[in-house]
Amino acid sequence: MTLLEIEGVSKSFGSVDVLRGIDLTIEAGSVTGLVGDNGAGKSTLMKTITGIYSVDDGTVTFNGEPITDLPPGERRSRGIEMIYQDLALAKQQDVANNIFLGREPVKRLWGLIPGYVDKARIDTEAQQMIDRLGAKIPSINRPVGYLSGGQQQSVAIARALTFEPKLVIMDEPTAALAVREVEHVLDLIRQLQKDGIAVILISHRLNDIFEVCDRIVVLRQGRLIADDPRGETSMNDVVSHIVGAA
Amino acid sequence: MSENASAARRSRSWTLGARSTYVRIESLFVLFGLSAIMAVLSPYFLQTSNLLNILLASATIGVLAIGATYVISSAGLDLSLGSVLGLSSVVGAVTAERLGMPWPLAVAACLAAGAAAGWVNGQLVTRAGIPAFIVTLGMLGIARGLALVISDGRAIYGLPEGLVYLGQGRPFGVPMPVFIFIGVAILTHYILSHTRFGAHTLAIGDNEAAARATGIRVGRHRRRLYTFSGLMAGIAGLIFMARVNAGDPTAGLNYELTAITAAIIGGTNLFGGRGSILGTMIGALIMGVLQNGLNLLAVQSYYQQMAIGAVLILAVFLDQWQARRAQAR
Amino acid sequence: MKLKLTAAIVAAFALTSAAQAQDRTYGVLMKTLANPFWGAMELGVRDGASNAGVEYYLQAVESDQAAEPQLNVCNTMLERTPTVMITAAINSTILLPCLKRANEQGIPVVDLDANLDHDIAAEAGVEITFTIGSDNEAAGAQGADYVVSQLGADATGPVLVIEGLSGNITGQKRARGFANRLKELAPGLEVVASLPGDWDRGKAANITNDILTRHPDLKAIFAANDGMALGAVEAAYAAGKGDAIIMVGVDGNVDAVKSIKAGRLDASVAQLPYLVGKQAVEEVTKVLDGATAEKFIFVPTLVLTKEVLDAGSEPMLEYVK
Repeated sequence: MTLLEIEGVSKSFGSVDVLRGIDLTIEAGSVTGLVGDNGAGKSTLMKTITGIYSVDDGTVTFNGEPITDLPPGERRSRGIEMIYQDLALAKQQDVANNIFLGREPVKRLWGLIPGYVDKARIDTEAQQMIDRLGAKIPSINRPVGYLSGGQQQSVAIARALTFEPKLVIMDEPTAALAVREVEHVLDLIRQLQKDGIAVILISHRLNDIFEVCDRIVVLRQGRLIADDPRGETSMNDVVSHIVGAA
Repeated sequence: MSENASAARRSRSWTLGARSTYVRIESLFVLFGLSAIMAVLSPYFLQTSNLLNILLASATIGVLAIGATYVISSAGLDLSLGSVLGLSSVVGAVTAERLGMPWPLAVAACLAAGAAAGWVNGQLVTRAGIPAFIVTLGMLGIARGLALVISDGRAIYGLPEGLVYLGQGRPFGVPMPVFIFIGVAILTHYILSHTRFGAHTLAIGDNEAAARATGIRVGRHRRRLYTFSGLMAGIAGLIFMARVNAGDPTAGLNYELTAITAAIIGGTNLFGGRGSILGTMIGALIMGVLQNGLNLLAVQSYYQQMAIGAVLILAVFLDQWQARRAQAR
Repeated sequence: MKLKLTAAIVAAFALTSAAQAQDRTYGVLMKTLANPFWGAMELGVRDGASNAGVEYYLQAVESDQAAEPQLNVCNTMLERTPTVMITAAINSTILLPCLKRANEQGIPVVDLDANLDHDIAAEAGVEITFTIGSDNEAAGAQGADYVVSQLGADATGPVLVIEGLSGNITGQKRARGFANRLKELAPGLEVVASLPGDWDRGKAANITNDILTRHPDLKAIFAANDGMALGAVEAAYAAGKGDAIIMVGVDGNVDAVKSIKAGRLDASVAQLPYLVGKQAVEEVTKVLDGATAEKFIFVPTLVLTKEVLDAGSEPMLEYVK
């Protein structure tokens, strides 16, 4: 089943054309590797999916419905999550609040006063998510800026997974991690796939890509150069696509 | 980012009370220390009537400081607070005195004028993309000028009784502005510390890109914040006007600096991401206690300025010192 | 094109200098117009000029704190070579470089509202033809006269003085004049606090509350301007002490008059800025015609009280604007 369909998407910043007519479809429950040199347009393409950037041209369809003009919050509530390279965490807010950022559950205080953020529920559910991920966080109420890089990564992942996403985009999730932590992230991706959640993985580490992805897509200078199932391509092919030698 | 991270690291050592409400312990030390000194130096300091005086005198600055806290903790800035206070007091007084409208309408006009000025700030900051410093500095001039134009440069004196009651009435022996001040503080504390609006305010100030990525509508939120801050200036203008029975175009001159200072002393992060109304109240009370004590002791004006400056530096020094100690651990 | 322009400028110069031979044009530089005090003075200048049959051009800066901008405006005004410069300097030194240039061009300088110090000016090479203004110390003293007239010379008790902006000379003179005369006339009345109200009626209200805590038997309040006096009045009435305290301001503003008529403020020592402006122009015209003037011309001040206002017979009332 087709989950996401991108048709003819173009985007430029000033006089720089970053995306030049990209077509891409993502199947439900698939893991797609997205590779390309710096400035090839990977992150920009992903941000047109999450709604951070609007497209100049083209359409984005999710679950059969057009979402091209929807704001990020609306797309998130439809099941598109992204883990950003810089993690996009609010460092002075605590772990639990970061996981629920933008989606805080509210209730009536004493059954009367509206709009009360249910902090107890946030803490409980955030703790459950952290436990499910097997992450080691000293306290759910510690400000995120106080945690190590790997722990912050776990918070970002927890945030993306808490609201039952259909598609999770990961932008260089392993770049800053130690070997053991990398393995953990790759396991997580396999687990997501098992649960029927589609993943788009952006990475410079082709080993990782070949280990978990069903399919490998190469971008170069804003164009989609190659789109092959893992079994029909090789690391050498992919490298030549990336540098443009093929 | 490293600034935020180090601030976050620090906050552990000075959190107090509810998780969502950060109050700097240092600021409480300063408040109680200062109060103790004043109580020793002047036997009048601890009289109930004097404590009410301090609250009364802190009401205007306190309400302005609430506006400042919201805007600054979203990593914004509002330099127009004092001028907007003056403008709304003039608008309220004109409505009541010159146009002869019933006093509740004057109250509404006063608040609306403040909110409108804040709304304009918000539009310019988010839609025109002009830095908040410039926009609100511009508004500082525009609002003050407009107040002078509307009032013809002179105070509009003599307001209806209902309006004056809001500033001078004393139900249960407590001045009305104190009720307004405390009511506004409770409500705004609830909003900042316990609602999504407050959580998003801090998140935007902490990491705007992250807030946007999680679906928070940053531009709309900022516009609301500036309008809110203007509304606080409107309420402060109402209190000022009712207290002195006049709409004064020069009212609130330089008050924005005192208000911002109160917010910072109270633990609001000047770079956004952290702030609490409880902390700001303590900051405002520090300023109020200091001024009250200096008046009770009849300290001469030059020394007053020195004393106020010294306490500000001391309050922030204690914070830095505490931060260094926390980092060394 | 360029030649034509030069010719036009030369012609214009010829015209203006020809005009100056017959007509006098006075340059008047004020602090700001965003204040009724200076508004009234401007009216006085206008009427004085029309009586004397002279032209004038008047400029001011955005606030009475904008010292350096005032110097810039002063320099610009000199470009038009006025017959005299009548200036209300923001402080005693800022305009001196400009006024020195004026003297060098043979333009006499009049110190409006007594903002310059003759000794400092002389050191800077500026000759002041005369200073005209209200005597702020005398105004303060008149306030004390009024307080004593109400309380009696053998009255005893605490008195509060609310000063102006910390360090501002006008406010200092008024406060000093009040305190000195009070001590002289009624030694039993003690100034227990003299605090800076910064010309801010909100601050004046706070100070009044604070001092009432310490001295619930406060007898009188003198504030260095009407805005602060009115802030004190409102605070005192809100505390239920309004009728027990004699409260005096300085300026004679419209809102002070209103409050006096309503029986709240007791008195205001009215400065007569209208008269200052008018007399400044008239006196300097006499000097230009060859008369010699006093170095200091003090325009009288007038104590406004409910009686004076209700009677309405005081001839100087017409100058209260």
